[in-house]
Formats: sequence, structure tokens, C-alpha cells
Amino acid sequence: MVETNDIELSAAEAEQYDRQIRLWGLESQKRLRAAKVLIIGIAGLGAEIAKNVILSGVKSVCLLDNEKLKEVDRYSQFLAPPDKIGENRAEVSLTRAKALNPMVDITAETKSVDNLPDSFFTEFDIVCATGLKQEQLERINNACRDSNKKFLCGDVWGMFGYMFADLVDHEYSEEIVQHKAQKRGPDDTEKTAVETFSITVKRRAIYVPLQNALSVDWMKPEMRSRLRRGDPSYFVMKILMRFKDEYNRDPDAAKRKEDTAILLRMRDELVKELSLPAGFIVDALLQDVFGTMAGAAAVIGGVIGQEVVKAVSQREPPHNNMFFFNPVKCVGFVELYGQ
Amino acid sequence: MMLNKMPARAAGVFDEKMTEAIANSRVLVVGAGGIGCEILKNLVLTGFPSIHIIDLDTIDVSNLNRQFLFHKEHVGYSKSQVARISALSFNPDVEILAFHDSIISTDYGVSYFKQFKVVLNALDNRVARNHVNRMCLAANVPLIETGTAGYAGQVELIQKGLTQCYECQPKAPQKTFPGCTIRNTPSEPIHCIVWAKHLFNQLFGEEDPDQDVSPDTADPEAAGEAGASALSSEGTTSGNVERKSTRAWAAETNYDPEKLFTKLFGDDIRYLLSMENLWKKRKPPTPLEWNNLPGKDSPPEQHTGLPDQRVWSIYECAQVFSTSCTSLQKDLRGRTEGDHLVWDKDEKHAMDFVTACANIRAHIFNIPVKSRFEIKSMAGNIIPAIATANAIVAGLAVLRAQAILRGDINSCTSVYLRPKVNHRGQLFVPEKTLTPPNPKCYVCAPKPEVAVACNLKQLTLKDLNAAFKDGLNMQAPDATIEGKGIVVLSSEPGETDHNNDKTLNEIGLSDGSALLVDDFLQNYEVRVRLQQEDEEKMWRIVPDADKPMPAPRPANGANGSEPKPGPSTSRDHDSDSDLEIIDEDDDEPAVKPPKRRRTEMNSDEVVELC
Ligand SMILES: [Zn+2]
Repeated sequence: MVETNDIELSAAEAEQYDRQIRLWGLESQKRLRAAKVLIIGIAGLGAEIAKNVILSGVKSVCLLDNEKLKEVDRYSQFLAPPDKIGENRAEVSLTRAKALNPMVDITAETKSVDNLPDSFFTEFDIVCATGLKQEQLERINNACRDSNKKFLCGDVWGMFGYMFADLVDHEYSEEIVQHKAQKRGPDDTEKTAVETFSITVKRRAIYVPLQNALSVDWMKPEMRSRLRRGDPSYFVMKILMRFKDEYNRDPDAAKRKEDTAILLRMRDELVKELSLPAGFIVDALLQDVFGTMAGAAAVIGGVIGQEVVKAVSQREPPHNNMFFFNPVKCVGFVELYGQ
Repeated sequence: MMLNKMPARAAGVFDEKMTEAIANSRVLVVGAGGIGCEILKNLVLTGFPSIHIIDLDTIDVSNLNRQFLFHKEHVGYSKSQVARISALSFNPDVEILAFHDSIISTDYGVSYFKQFKVVLNALDNRVARNHVNRMCLAANVPLIETGTAGYAGQVELIQKGLTQCYECQPKAPQKTFPGCTIRNTPSEPIHCIVWAKHLFNQLFGEEDPDQDVSPDTADPEAAGEAGASALSSEGTTSGNVERKSTRAWAAETNYDPEKLFTKLFGDDIRYLLSMENLWKKRKPPTPLEWNNLPGKDSPPEQHTGLPDQRVWSIYECAQVFSTSCTSLQKDLRGRTEGDHLVWDKDEKHAMDFVTACANIRAHIFNIPVKSRFEIKSMAGNIIPAIATANAIVAGLAVLRAQAILRGDINSCTSVYLRPKVNHRGQLFVPEKTLTPPNPKCYVCAPKPEVAVACNLKQLTLKDLNAAFKDGLNMQAPDATIEGKGIVVLSSEPGETDHNNDKTLNEIGLSDGSALLVDDFLQNYEVRVRLQQEDEEKMWRIVPDADKPMPAPRPANGANGSEPKPGPSTSRDHDSDSDLEIIDEDDDEPAVKPPKRRRTEMNSDEVVELC
């Protein structure tokens, strides 16, 4: 949980954050400015998350990435200057990240997550991981969980994307708008008016770790019934995660044809394995999964950025526990898995 | 169109069709604010080779929490120019043309719009949205209309003949307050804030007879002896002041704060008290005395939070009233004859003045007083804006633009970003089908037609010109009498000035007469039927005779400007919102359009005459 400090905002902070303080209040802004955030994977999605989190006015952001800037990153990674291809993605993003908001302390870390101890991750109040394999995500999630630190992860493949959240045991306040008809004075124009006012309630949300959400038993009747009204996005994510595990990379734009064939084969296997309805996972969902499209990174990065703000400020209900963006239908939805 | 400059891009990220469609496109982004910055970034990264961006605004420090192409050192510079330079650093291979200009200009006519494959709107006001809507209809270019307000947002496609246009559904008129509520019987903080802004204009701004701040003796509620007896009574200065403009009176006293205070918050209130009918069912106001103000001897309370969030005592309000009056008067005096101040929420003394006056008046009328922070929101129509909602909406907008280029325009239904998930867990909610055009729309119908209800014996041609501009959102209307071909209104300056003060009757128009009105700037023509209505004091637009105008819905913002009669178009304000929120109901058959609740978040409030 983020500790607030009692130091008042400076005039400069009040001025710069005016429009958001008017939305989420001063208390939220104070919590934000005390929060330490780690962002893992500074490709297109990581850059979007970093931008949103830095603009919101947190205390510090660490950009962690051991990979080099690639040609394909130029479609979505706006923090890295395009002439820095071949250099470390976190390091080359530092200058522009700092320029977004000089009031935030921003650092870069170039080690692989596999070479960092659990204690590295738990230094932060919240971790956002992108571009990792399932087992890496689960390891960091569990480390955070053991220290009661919040964990988010997500990825974008082409136009498709997801987010997962484990806020452990999360307390938050929620503003609920209520309406009340009110008698007015003898104004001839306004006999009665509906007055809206809001009350703040305290709530609590319990989360499950990533491994639970990813190991759902689809043979159970209650999960089967979800399929009927469901969206195939969860399975698209599973297929793409399997691809990453099996080939140790994401689908490659340069091998568009071969990789699409592999993905469709993996789709067919999954359909068989889980006895999913035929035609449930349409081909179109697996055909635009190359690189990162800027529009999709902005969408998923926007959702994850907002979840960081909600988690840190403990205001408004955070998503529990998975969000999917299905680009074929242009729908974005939240579902709870693994509970 | 094959553009010579092709951005170098890794092959295979898009399929061939998409790659080619993008390579051969030119797009226009209207607005370089919160959504505009995000859209521009997405377009540039995606590799759109030729982008125009236009915005007339300059960068303010309160933009920096979301308009991420701008940094502190850019404050005061042109938004479009700085956005261009920042975005080029993401991809120097694209061409961006930036215009520091208003889109409402003859420079950007139909042929200008025709060069674009898609236009993306990222605007903050209805006037410009209406205009771009008409230009895109005239040029037959698909328009992607966007907006956000706080956590919520929307993306909507407008394509001539395929979808409804921005003006197919009549917009909720702005929230209005009866003039007598503002002048005589305020009951809410907003009434006092509107009054305070009017007072600012009366004293320092553009004097407007419809923004009178003195007691309104014509209040129908006060009709009878009370007002009359008060008028004839002696001893108060207000009887005299009544006949003099507030500005002239203030100038005579040399803007002496104590005298002004005594008139506004003492004498005028006593005068209102003499209108006894007003107070039969209301708690009467309490006049204040300069030398005996509440809070004078008590020290300010302990306060936590932003300095602006502390509520001032009435004594402090009076002090602020005094200092702000003096500064504003000094500013006014330093200007050339005829020049005046324009109220601006970001101008310290102007905002101080309105806060102080609104709170003093609220106290007098037993209305809760508010902090400067809260009053700034209400007086300045501030709609909260955050980076994440803008990012999501801009991301969706560019994905929609890609789909249009690829030829999938029929899939581009409106998408709503909800502040919280709906009962189906959806955060982005797409409509199931495109909403077809309203065949009776007076903008996009094949033969646009609309009725104007007015009293033809009273309404002058000048008023009618205002109806075309404010009611039908035209920029430069020309009108001829149908069947006769007589030009009664011309957009050419001076050409029909001789008609200005004639009534519609006097120029030969009667109930059922029709005018052909066209706007060359918008490439728009509409047939206007005139309806005689004896009761109508000014004019009223009747968009569709079969369907009444929807009932006004509450607006979020609040403002006390624009005392124009009739529904008036809203002015610029402070966010990217013009939001339409959908109440979707999943049990309804898919063909039925969802119920709409247009939450017009950028409407200025207007005062109507009573
Ligand atoms: Zn229309």
C-alpha cells in the first residue's frame, strides 16, 4: 500500500495537475506522488504505460528492459529516438521519458528480470510487466504477492491486447452518485429539480495470482456456460502465450505467412483440447498479431495506466482481474478468471 | 494519389492491403489538444505518410498533464507547430503540415477537405464540430469524431449517406436560467456565479444589456404594488442607479470599492426586500454593511489542502473584492478608449473578483459559499481531463481510421469508453450497427429543410441572421425568398444592411413563407419555413415538425455568458469533451438504435429573459 505524506502540493504541482485533481481529488494526487512504479519491457506498450504513469505525477518510475531497440519497435515505441536501433531500449527511452514530467524521478535498468532477485521487484509499490514469458510473469507476481505489492501485466500483439491485475487485498473508496428529487422555492420555472450528490463508500477487492487465472479448468460446468456468451479473447491470449513459450519469441512480421500458419494450427489444437465450439476463435483474430500497432498500444497502455492510478490512489473500483481488447469487434471488457 | 515520400517501415506488420492503403493516404487532424496529440502520435508511428494538423490555440501549463507533445518550455507557443515538431521526432519520414489557425475559414474550403482520405476531429467545442461535420459532408470525406470527459469518451464515424451526421440528433440546448433568478432570487451557487460574471462584464468587460445585475422590477412574480412603491420611495440610491448603467455609476464613484459594495450588497438587496411578493415563500436576503462583515474578528481556520480549496470568510471576500476591483479598474483605465477586459478564469484578479462577489451574494441569500477552486470549475466550465482516457479514445480513433482505409467502413460503429464497466463487464462498448442518417436532418438530408418559429411582426432581419448563425450553426448565411428570388440577407458586408431593422412582415414574409438560405463557406443550403407564433419572443428552431425537440438535459458545466435569446451555440471551453453517453440495453433487438442520452459537457449556460 502506498503511504501518503502530509506535505502539501507545491504551487507548480497544483497548476500542472489541476485538471486531474478536479477529477480524482487532492488525496489521490498525494498518494500518486508517493508511489514508486516499475515498468518492465519498454517496447510500444511499455512506452505507453510509462507516458501515462509519468504524466499522472507519481514519485518515481524505473524503466527495466534488457533488450535492444528493434526496427519493429518504430511502429509504437515513441520514447526511443528512431536512430537508436540496436541500443538498450530502457536507456534510450530515458531522455524523452524525463521530458514528459520533470517532477518525476526516472531511472533505467538494463538487466534481465532473470538476473534480478525478488527483492528488486518488491522495492516498488507497483510493478507493470510487459513482453515476458508466462513463467517470468508468475515468478514476479508471486514475489510481489508475498510482499503485498501490487502487480499488473499485459501485452499487445498487433491489434490485440490483454491486461491482468493482482492487487492482492485491495481497499479503495468509491464515489457513488445518487439522485434525489428536491422541492424548490416558488420559482415558476423550476418546480422540482433532481439533485445529484455523491457519497463515498469504502470497499475491498480480493485478487488471485496470475497462475490461477491462466490455469482455468474449462471442463467445469460453470466455465462451460461462460463460453456460450463469451468472447474468445482469453484463448487468443493463451495461444499467443504458448507461441512465445514454444518459440521463445513473439510472432514475427518478417515470417508473417509461416507464423500465421503456426498460430492457426495452435488454435486448432486448443479448440480440440478444450472442446471449444468450432469457429469460436475466428481466423481474423490471429492474423493481425504482428509487432505492436500504435493504436492498440495506446488503448491497452491507457487501460493499464489508469489501473496504476486507481491502484495507487485507492480510489474507484479497479478491474478484477483480466481486461481484453478484441479488435475485430472493437470491444474492451473485464472478466474474472481463476477464482 | 501516390505520395512520393514513403516512410521506411518493416514489412509484414500490416497485411499488403493495409500497407498500401496507409501509404496512399493523406489525413487531417482537427485539434492538437489532449486527443489531438495522441492521435498525431499514433498516426506518425503507424506510418501515415501525410498528415495535416490544425489548431488555433497556444499551450497552457494546465495542458501538460495530458498533452504530452508539449513540455514546460513550450508554454505560450502554438499547439499545432509544437505538436508537429515533437511528432516528427518519432518518425522523421512522414510529412506533417501544421496550421496555427481556425478551421472555420475560407482557406479550408470543400476542395481543401477533398484531398483527405479521412478527417479526425479532436475538438473541444460544438461550433467547430458542426462546421467540420458540414465540410466533410460537402466533401464526402469520412469523419471520425472523438471526445472525452473525465474517465469517459467516445469515437464515432460520420459518413455522408451511411451514418448519421453530427447534427442529425438535435443537441440539448444549453442550460438556461431565468434572468429574474439571477437578478432577484438566486437559490444555488451557480446563480451567484453567473451574476458575478455578469457584474464583471458590466464593470470591466463588454457591457451587455442582457447581463443586467441590478434588481429586475419587471419580475412577473413581484408584479403589483411592491416594486412600484419601492421605486417611488426615497432614501436609496438604487432608484437612480436603475436608470444609469452600472459601469457609468461605478465610473462616477471612481470604482470606490466601499461604495460599490454598499450599492451591490446593501442598497440593491434592500431594494429587492421591498419587492415583498418575492419573499412570501422564500427566505429573504440579508443586506450587508461594509463596516460590519462576518468573520472580521475571527482568525482563518486551520486548512489542509490546496490554498485555493480554502473557503474565504465574508470579511476576506470583501477584502479580495476591494483589491481585485482596484486592479481590474487600473487595467481597464490603462487601455484605449472603447477597449474592455475579457473575463478569463486563469486571470488572477478576474477569478478573484468572481469568487468574492459570488460568495458575498451567496451569503446574502443563504446559499452555501464555495472555495475559489470550486468556483473556478463552475465559472470556467472546466471539464476534468486525463491522459489515459485521451490515449484510449485516440487509439480507437486511429484503429477506426485504419479500418476505413482498408475498406471496412461498415464495421466502424460508434464506440463508447465508459467510466466504469457496464453490467456485461464492458469498458469499451461498440454499437452493434451503424446508425443511419436521420432523413429529416436539416444538415445531411438530400433536401435539407427546417422551420423557424417566430413572431413575424416583431422579429427583424438582424434577429433572423442571428437565428441562422446561432440556431442553424451557419457562418455566413445568404437568404433569398423562395419563388421570388429576392435577396434579403447577404453575407457580403453592408449589402443588405438596409434590411436589418425591418421586420419579416415588412419585407413581405408571412406564415408559411420559405427562404432559401445558403452558406458558401460550408457548401450548405437549407430551405427555411417560417411559422408565425405570437407568443415567441425571439425565435425557435423546429428541426422536425413530427418530433418535438428533446427535453433539455442537465449540463455538467456552468457558465453565465451568452445571454442571447433562443438556443445559442456554445463557445470554447476547457476540455476535449462533447460527449455522448449511451444507455445501452442488451436485451433490445440489435436493429433498434440505443437510447441516447447526449450529455453535452461543453455547453455554456445562458440566461433567458423572463
Ligand atoms: Zn444529419
